[in-house]
Amino acid sequence: MSILKINDLEKHEEHSLVFPAFSLEVSEHEVIAIHSSTNVRAILVKLFLGELPVSNGELSINGHEIMKSKKAYFNQVGMFLLDNGIYERLSVKDHFAFFKKLYSSEISMDDALRMTQLEPKRNIRVSKLTASEKRRVHFGRLLFQDPALFIFEEPDQNTDLETKRVFLKLVRKLSERGKGVLVLTGNMESALSVTDKVCRLDETGLHVLDVVSDEETTDALPKEEHKSEDQIIEEEIIIQPVRFEKIPTKVNDKIVLFDPPEIDYIESNEGQSNIYIKGEMYPSVFTMTELENRLHPYGFFRCHRSYIVNLQKVREVVTWTRNSFTLVLGDAKKSSIPLSKTKMAELKGMLGLK
Amino acid sequence: MIFSVKRTMAIFQKDYKDILKNYFVSSSVLMPLVLAALYGRMGVETVNEHYLIFNMTFCLVAAYVQCSLIAEEKEKNTLRGLMLSPASTLEILGGKSLLSFIGTILVIVISAFLTEYKPENILVISIAIVLSTVFYIGLGTVLGLMTKSVMEASVVILPFIGIFSFGSMLTYFADKFPILKAAEYMPNSQLINLANQVQTGAGLLDVWFNFAIILAWVAVIYVIVVIVYRKRMMD
Repeated sequence: MSILKINDLEKHEEHSLVFPAFSLEVSEHEVIAIHSSTNVRAILVKLFLGELPVSNGELSINGHEIMKSKKAYFNQVGMFLLDNGIYERLSVKDHFAFFKKLYSSEISMDDALRMTQLEPKRNIRVSKLTASEKRRVHFGRLLFQDPALFIFEEPDQNTDLETKRVFLKLVRKLSERGKGVLVLTGNMESALSVTDKVCRLDETGLHVLDVVSDEETTDALPKEEHKSEDQIIEEEIIIQPVRFEKIPTKVNDKIVLFDPPEIDYIESNEGQSNIYIKGEMYPSVFTMTELENRLHPYGFFRCHRSYIVNLQKVREVVTWTRNSFTLVLGDAKKSSIPLSKTKMAELKGMLGLK
Repeated sequence: MIFSVKRTMAIFQKDYKDILKNYFVSSSVLMPLVLAALYGRMGVETVNEHYLIFNMTFCLVAAYVQCSLIAEEKEKNTLRGLMLSPASTLEILGGKSLLSFIGTILVIVISAFLTEYKPENILVISIAIVLSTVFYIGLGTVLGLMTKSVMEASVVILPFIGIFSFGSMLTYFADKFPILKAAEYMPNSQLINLANQVQTGAGLLDVWFNFAIILAWVAVIYVIVVIVYRKRMMD
């Protein structure tokens, strides 16, 4: 039984195509993340809010379409938006009391405060809270609303770790209770930390990313490794006499060379591997497997199918749940990188932990 | 759609707590009271002076509070959250109007006490005051729907304070400029006119014409509310 049904939805804006027709269903207990550019995300949100008409295709939540019955539609969906307003002068407790009455909710105030971890702040004015804590007030609002479908727009953008933890816990609880959750984000790491079902939406359409699913990757990996082993042998023969240690990247027409220790991490995006150095992104000419083999002697680690990280730069390993981990780097941006379950064991071994 | 008293009360309570902490708005509510206390010490002789304060209360409390309550929801982006909630527009505006209404009546009663205003026929005067309050809340709603921020609201309200608080003085010049005769049909002038008649011993039936005019104003302003609301909702 699917809660959200999107059927052949497409959107053109003036001369350009924002996204071609795509279909997506979110069922009960399901968490789906859509990774997209800011523009696509903003338009999706507007479609969900009814600010832009659904001209081509269908969009319905539990069978209610926005055009036909606005009230019934909005009763089924709870939205967390980036520009959600808040009553600055009221305390957290006042907010929750108001939401409880507004949505005639059964959830007790203490439960909501505990789930959003705002208990110590209950009597504090919202204007004195940090931006992350304000988001948690909005999470509280959704708890009281308790709709069938939850839509989150960039829920953990620029938030502290505690808020991220609260959010992940919340999403897990919601999906356990049979709710549908849709996360719209421009950050692949944040999408991967929430769910295994990540789609990418852009002007070429909706692509489902084959993420983690540990059993499959272990099957697929040996083959890849086998292939690349030959390559390394060939490469090593060429490389060794020159002691070539630089990693080339392509910026426009120039080739820029980097020392491996400079690199923070490498991310693969639709078959293209991008090297991140001090917050800047440089497209690499090599595939992930090639890079992994070249960089392995320098302390690099393939922590996820689409990520290679420089272990020297890792500052923290954050455990969200038993099966989901994130590496936090020590660079200025404190970038976080997903770490898959199978790789965690490998990493523990490398670190000498058992 | 069923009108839910519970949700209306939720919005009322939320706005009440919010406005207590909003010194910008709550201080302007206190102004008529300060003025009333001053006038009361100086001694008020004519009915017109009492009503100068009452009319100011209508503008500053009923219209301005209502206007800024709506404008602030828009400014802080919280109106959308309310619109997406099960609360209907009627319940949202109802909760806010209730707060402005109770505030206005409270301030008027206290100012009447401070200026020692004793109407001859309390029933007629109360009906007139309640009707006027309803009119000014309608005015505040229209202005609130049109403005986008509290700052804008407090500027927009100024000409209305001018017209409705001191506008009744224009009738003094009506002999010289016949066009100012129109000012006699303003709701504030009608209220003063009515109060003067009551003070000379008129009953409910003697002032029906003033009531009719005030009622006409109420009807007109709520028609405008509906028109402005529909137009704004299209955006």
